[in-house]
Amino acid sequence: MFSCLFSGGAVVSQSHLGGAQITRRMFLRSTGAAVAVSVMGVPGLATTANSGPAAIGATASAMPGVASQRIDGLAKVTGQKVYARDFNARDMPGWPQGQWYAMYMRALTTGSAFEGVDLSLLPATAQPTRVVLGNELNEVLRAPKLQFNRDLHLQERIAQLRAKGGNSQNDNSFDLPPDMSYDLIVVPGNVPDYLGQAVALLMFDSLAAFRSAKSAMQFNDAAFQVYETTDQDSPAMGSAFSPQTTYVKYNDEFSYASADPETYMDQVGDYQSKIRRSLGREPDLIRQPFQADMRAMDPMFMEPEAGLVWIEQGTGTMNIVLGTQSPDGDISNILSMYDSPDAPEHLQAVNLTSCYPGGGFGGRDSSPFSLMLALAGAYSDGNPVRLAYDRFEQFRVGLKRHGARLSGELVAGVDMKLEAVQMNLTFDGGGERNLSPYVASLGALCAGGSYKVPKASIFAEALHTQNITGGSQRGFGGPQAFFAVETALDDLAAAQGWDPVELRAANLISLGDTTVVGGPIEQPLRLDEMLEIASNHPLWAEREAIRQDYGSRGMTYGTGIAMSLQAYGTSGDGMVASVRLEPDGTLTVQSDAVDMGNGSATTLGVTIGPILGSNAARVDMGCYTLFGQTGLTTDDPGGERWEKPNWTAKSVGSSSACLTGLHQVHTVQQTANALFEGSILAAAAQIWGVAGVSASEVVWRDGALGRITVEGNQLSLKTLAEEIHASGLPTGALGHAYFQNTWAQAQYQTPGGSLLLKLDGLSFYHAGGGDPVQIERQETRGPDKHSTRYARYVWAPCINVVGLTVDTKTGAVQVENVLSVLNAGHIHVPQLVSGQSQGGVAMAISYALLEDMPPGMDGPADGMWNLNRYHIARAQDVPLRNVYTPGLRGQELITLPQPEGSEPAGRGIAEAVMCSIPPAISNALRDATGKRFSSLPITPTKIMEGLGQ
Amino acid sequence: MTLSFTVNGAAYKLDEGRAEERLIDFLHEDLNLTGTKFCCGIGVCRACTVQVSKPPNPTPSPVISCSTTLGMVDGSAISTIESVATDGVPDAVQQAFLDNFSFQCGYCTPGFVMAARMLLAGLRAQPIPEEQIDAAMMQAIGSHICRCTGYARYFEALRPLAVAANAGEGN
Repeated sequence: MFSCLFSGGAVVSQSHLGGAQITRRMFLRSTGAAVAVSVMGVPGLATTANSGPAAIGATASAMPGVASQRIDGLAKVTGQKVYARDFNARDMPGWPQGQWYAMYMRALTTGSAFEGVDLSLLPATAQPTRVVLGNELNEVLRAPKLQFNRDLHLQERIAQLRAKGGNSQNDNSFDLPPDMSYDLIVVPGNVPDYLGQAVALLMFDSLAAFRSAKSAMQFNDAAFQVYETTDQDSPAMGSAFSPQTTYVKYNDEFSYASADPETYMDQVGDYQSKIRRSLGREPDLIRQPFQADMRAMDPMFMEPEAGLVWIEQGTGTMNIVLGTQSPDGDISNILSMYDSPDAPEHLQAVNLTSCYPGGGFGGRDSSPFSLMLALAGAYSDGNPVRLAYDRFEQFRVGLKRHGARLSGELVAGVDMKLEAVQMNLTFDGGGERNLSPYVASLGALCAGGSYKVPKASIFAEALHTQNITGGSQRGFGGPQAFFAVETALDDLAAAQGWDPVELRAANLISLGDTTVVGGPIEQPLRLDEMLEIASNHPLWAEREAIRQDYGSRGMTYGTGIAMSLQAYGTSGDGMVASVRLEPDGTLTVQSDAVDMGNGSATTLGVTIGPILGSNAARVDMGCYTLFGQTGLTTDDPGGERWEKPNWTAKSVGSSSACLTGLHQVHTVQQTANALFEGSILAAAAQIWGVAGVSASEVVWRDGALGRITVEGNQLSLKTLAEEIHASGLPTGALGHAYFQNTWAQAQYQTPGGSLLLKLDGLSFYHAGGGDPVQIERQETRGPDKHSTRYARYVWAPCINVVGLTVDTKTGAVQVENVLSVLNAGHIHVPQLVSGQSQGGVAMAISYALLEDMPPGMDGPADGMWNLNRYHIARAQDVPLRNVYTPGLRGQELITLPQPEGSEPAGRGIAEAVMCSIPPAISNALRDATGKRFSSLPITPTKIMEGLGQ
Repeated sequence: MTLSFTVNGAAYKLDEGRAEERLIDFLHEDLNLTGTKFCCGIGVCRACTVQVSKPPNPTPSPVISCSTTLGMVDGSAISTIESVATDGVPDAVQQAFLDNFSFQCGYCTPGFVMAARMLLAGLRAQPIPEEQIDAAMMQAIGSHICRCTGYARYFEALRPLAVAANAGEGN
């Protein structure tokens, strides 16, 4: 099988992959020693009892460019081992059979000092082999310097703060509030920094002992932990993680994007005053205050986090099995844990087996789980260790979507034109910094909604609290911000007697406008077309008749509309991919992307079909170490940027589902183009005995390449592969792309001629193996530095209309119908787009109405939460029909057809549909009941309170 | 005393001292059959659903293996997801889920497959009025939790099979 992650692929045998190394990259440690990081294939299935032949997966389809099923589908639907949780040491080739089991004890308070553990109540059969407390870890291991290179414009701000000697001047504090150090395991004598922080690592050398201890300790933590009896405050509680985000925009005169970065913050106060004065001079302006709040939300991916680690003593090789969205960041942070002279192990190599995650939704992006697993590996006497959370632990410590409070006001003229938005967004970051400030920052951008707003004053921050750590989760700040602005718009419309669609239509942002950050909209959004489609749809246009129909049956019905303008990608994204033509004529795609279930592997596998005449037979995902073979670097001490021949602005990032549609597909297709024009056409010319042939002269028919104007002599991929492998032409291409509003591009000299590619790095593989050979790039053009200040560049707009009924006697709500109008750009695999949309609808209904997670020890931090208390949407909560049918429940997705002749570029839509469902639900409830419900989730209790019952 | 049962046709005899152990742990640890998925561990999400037949009842029933002890399956015939495909060829339910892109991360899929198969077997054995098929599907898989898909494509894939099974087609 396949993978770095895995793939589908034709027949895959144990010998073919079987945990074999896929890609490798060297990393330098601070001590100067090098560490080799390899991404390994997932082991084959020979150890699985009753497993059939290892015929896992099939190509996604035989038709180039079309997927008839998921490339990973057969393995998953037949229950084969594809998830990290499926593996034990016995399944891993070359690993010792003995396996230890790790368990972390979790802090129960942030109000008194932890003194130690008392395991005397554990029976002898349940005693751990080893107990590790925080004071036994050296400082680097206990409180590693974590890197989250998520967003270039925020990284630049952090660097700016560092240069100025501000709050973040202390290297150790970049992930933390000032002067704080959060330990992976609390040192006895210290007050825990947050609930659920580890206070001890227990290691068991047998499954029986582990299970026995778990049985004795679960739901009974307090009996095994000792705290001081006097109260003490946990330091820095309530302080903000760095950096905070301030976006102030004053017409075309001043914005985050247009101001000098060095002086922007110094001018913010003046412009906020200017906005106040300016608005104050116009007494006719209408002011609509708003406030909203929402609980934290658990991603509740189905596979609780699990993994294996084994550090080979003597060789310093760490072998680790993970299901993560961020293999690059995770391994880099693990390396930093062990990067000290007195580290318990001096790592020489890391072998990562990156498995298919059993769901992600952002919750496996930079998850602390990876660190906790890697830490356990140092305390097992050289044995493999399994760390596998159960659902209670996953609820207790897994990353959450942030609870948040938002408030502010919209200001509009009597002509419906929005004049200003002011918003404060406070995110509950929980214990660790993680990606919280990045999430808050994107929330601030989303505060402008889908609208042109001349003046803005937005402040967003994420606070350190005792709660469970918040992180990346589907929408990344968007769900909270869009909820606030879209419900406020409806309240404004209702207060003025305006039509909510007309109000929105009067303010749509479009080409040439700027966001609240000040960044230009340079991509057609087509919001006007979308709003017209939504408002003409019977679910909206006939809403009064529908209401009357429900009313005649004694039911209370309402309709709500809301929009979102979710960005995809970050302020600068790097991607890497390889496309290889195997000797047998099959194609292999490798990508740094991870497929969390969103279908990236399938999409990338078929997206080369029209270019290379066939879909990929194998797709290896999670191959981030490919970057190490590109010959590129992100180091640029001289500030040369694109003048430096091997420089790129970003290597690779963590995997987000929203990066597939445009970014990853582009990278794979450009790399496939390089192989096609740089090698395959040259081979064809050799076979045909002509001096050269251009792409415009040939066509793929039934998997064979032929000349448009010359009959016969069609060349199969196998024939072409034989020629290429025999004649020394490139057998594969390795490409790196960088997107920051525009693509970096360069000219490359290839056997097929000079090629202009939207890649900033290209290498060719040749027969016989070995590292790829870098092609010198020429005439490089890349995005300028400044545009990172736009924050985001590309958008996947969506409008949702929700029709629902509410039982005014119980407060129960049923979503009857959903209409989603989505601009997904070019759609690569329609079934995957609709599946993402349907999943987004379900998750959003769940978020808006069901998922209720109290903070503190009233919530999952007490270790006693599971799906019996935390309710998520089931089938009956979701409209299942895929077309709107009056009188029946359904969800209809309308995607905008692309204009003829437009570039077939997809848009990342993983989060797009979800973001505007919750405000549409709240707006529908207001329509139904006349009451605004602005606190998520909108439970029956809140509804009954709101109705005064 | 021993506990005896079969898993995918293979017979197992265990010391009765293991009667309180969970079925899912036995599948994972003793048999290395990890296709049956652990998710909530408390019998809510149904990802760990397996098929259990226990005489004298000839009709197999869905059993939540995370909340079922080995003692409870003494004398039973258990089938897991690993038994469904034949020589790597998916059965009709699996193929329908593949064709419809019914799942994404796939972690809940084995549970859906097992529950759907038992629904179809039940419909073949005891057909119902066609207008009750939607309710029967909801009864069979409506309590299963899926976080990725929104369920729609599972139901779309299953409905034609349910109609056919109800008409006595398939096996």
